[in-house]
Amino acid sequence: MKKLVLFLAAIALISSYCWAAELEYFQVYKPKEGMTADEIMQIEYFVKYTRFAHDVDMDGKAYFIDKSGSTRERETARLRITLGRKSDDIAYKDLVMFTSPQVKGLATLTWTYMDPKRQSDSWLWVPSLKKIKKISQANADDSFMGSDFTNEDILTRRFEDETYKLIKEENFKGYTCEHDKKIYFKNAPCFVIEAKPKNSPWYYSKRILWVDKNTGGGIYEEMYDPLGRMFKVIFKDYEIIKVNGKDYPEQILLEVKDLRTGHRTVIINTDIKFETGLSEDLFSERALTQTRW
Amino acid sequence: MKKFVLLLLVCLLAGFAYADERLQLNGYIKNETGLRATDKNYPQKLKNIIELAGQYSIKDDELVFFAKAKYFYDSAYAKDKLDMAAHYMEHIQRTEWLRDCYLDYTEGPWFLRLGKQQVAWGQSDGVAVLDKVNPVDLREYWLPDMVDIRIPLWMFNINYSPKLNSNLQLLVIPDFEESQVAPIGAPFTIRAYQIFDNIMKIPNSRWNINQHFPGRRLNHATYGLQWSDRIGGTDYTLNFLYGPYSTARNTTIQTGLNFKVDRDYKLWRVYGGSFNKTITNPGLLQGITLRGDFAWYNDEPTYYGDPAAGSTKGIARWNNKFWLIGVDKNVLTRWTVSLQYAQYIMEHKLAKNNTLPASQQIAMNAFTYGVQDQLENIFTLRISSHFMNDRIKPEVLWSFTDDNQGKLSPKVSYEIKDNLFLTLGWHYFYGAAADSNGQFSHQSQIYTQLKYTF
Repeated sequence: MKKLVLFLAAIALISSYCWAAELEYFQVYKPKEGMTADEIMQIEYFVKYTRFAHDVDMDGKAYFIDKSGSTRERETARLRITLGRKSDDIAYKDLVMFTSPQVKGLATLTWTYMDPKRQSDSWLWVPSLKKIKKISQANADDSFMGSDFTNEDILTRRFEDETYKLIKEENFKGYTCEHDKKIYFKNAPCFVIEAKPKNSPWYYSKRILWVDKNTGGGIYEEMYDPLGRMFKVIFKDYEIIKVNGKDYPEQILLEVKDLRTGHRTVIINTDIKFETGLSEDLFSERALTQTRW
Repeated sequence: MKKFVLLLLVCLLAGFAYADERLQLNGYIKNETGLRATDKNYPQKLKNIIELAGQYSIKDDELVFFAKAKYFYDSAYAKDKLDMAAHYMEHIQRTEWLRDCYLDYTEGPWFLRLGKQQVAWGQSDGVAVLDKVNPVDLREYWLPDMVDIRIPLWMFNINYSPKLNSNLQLLVIPDFEESQVAPIGAPFTIRAYQIFDNIMKIPNSRWNINQHFPGRRLNHATYGLQWSDRIGGTDYTLNFLYGPYSTARNTTIQTGLNFKVDRDYKLWRVYGGSFNKTITNPGLLQGITLRGDFAWYNDEPTYYGDPAAGSTKGIARWNNKFWLIGVDKNVLTRWTVSLQYAQYIMEHKLAKNNTLPASQQIAMNAFTYGVQDQLENIFTLRISSHFMNDRIKPEVLWSFTDDNQGKLSPKVSYEIKDNLFLTLGWHYFYGAAADSNGQFSHQSQIYTQLKYTF
């Protein structure tokens, strides 16, 4: 009997993995009742990295706010092309250009691979050198461009990096955004997932995520340090953008607060355009050298 | 009047910027203060800089005009200590105020950038192995950013991409500017110039100096060709450059107290290549970036002579090699370590058909008139980090050679508030007087930079 249970559990695991692995690019998925934690998180990552769309073009504004209220701003223009191409293992390519005066011209090109164990390739256009520098992928636990997000939070964390457990399903109590004082997602039905990193020791011991049943997007998460203390909270608001009859959920507001320092970061994405037919040529070193600033 | 015109231009452009979103403007004002940190202290610079850049999209991203202008005034040269060098150091020189002025045209695989610009080749950081397209302004030695060191040139920069991730670049540069060094009396006057100036002060000497700029002929223009591509995760380039050497080489004929000096810009060629690769696959080396440059300098004009007497005897045209390999790695969450090793290998062939003793045919460093080693080993180590959400950025750059000479440059930048940055730093030079860095061992500098961007 024990063997049978183990066998069935193994079958369930394998089938869950297969289902997860079969998530095809350029489709829109929504979580359903009865899904496992792994299935829900596959969709959450799918939404996070906009794998449903061939390309996206957006502007962004980031505010870095320290506990005294002093605010610094950065503006970016961001392009992404999703390829999901097995022949050269490329999942997607990102181009982020800083457009605000402090670092005007600074631009990064990143190619992310489908193999979850493979690090990304990155190039940086450095205005003070007027030159491209090939750079190593930043450490996963390092700050993402000076924000309170880590690189892993924004760019490099993959589905395969954690194990997941569905804790409960509940209506989200709502999040009061410090940036605009609005209450978001009050009573939104959510899956509550516990995610534990496979890396150990790691800078966090677990994340508790609230995944919106409506879109599959993670709307709120609490991060806990190795001693089990909550040290960071992340909130994400989404907009559903209709493209060719499909509903594309995209993050339009992100707020993260580091509870240890009181510093927080707000990122607002605007002018989001999907499926504009971006050419892959834009995501090349040559395109980076065409930067003028 | 000039200042008024500049101000008017700024206001007009700003007005257009609000009126037309096709126009983007950006700029900064900056103060750079440098204090000599060895022997007698005195200000080496009190420089106020304004830079303004503008971009106008004539036809979306297809046709874009870009220009950048810069002006500075260095009041340190109004003081007695440095006033002798004021003419070349106090204000921006000649056409150098125009840093960029070009038209970009993009159509399918073609990209054309026509006008005044800089082109940087190679993967090295702070060591110019392939970065030879533009001449350099060394009036503050190699201390400023490379974007301020390169002297922009008017050129045709034509690019064609036959396939994804590849590019063929052709440069046709009819323009010529010579590389600049600091004048006599400036903090970073090179030793070779100082020695030459001392000889010129010999009582009753008469000097006939003839400067032979490259002729305005097609075979005296500069041409560049670069092929770049990616194979198996490695980016590489193949490079070729032909044109006049950007620094004049002097041939001096002495008859009694009469000196005839011919300053020529010899034609030379650079053949080379570069590569970079990040190890992305799992393993011990994952996360390491490797990069490198290789150059073969064909017919590089090199002085030979008697370094002990500080006198050149002639110019040899040697085939020299310069290669560099760099390794970069992010470590311990927020630290980046970057190490470079380079070798400059001189051909060191004694000149033919001359009767000079071997002691007067020694290769000479053009900057110091010291001995130029046949093999120069160059190392650089850069360690950088960031704290407080990128608000504080410390960095140390140590560059040195196997001659026990070098430069140590620690600095820390602090973003005081949005758009306002303060940098504090130190350039510490050490080594013998006849070495590239050692010649400035009495000019170590503590500096501050205050920059406001808009």
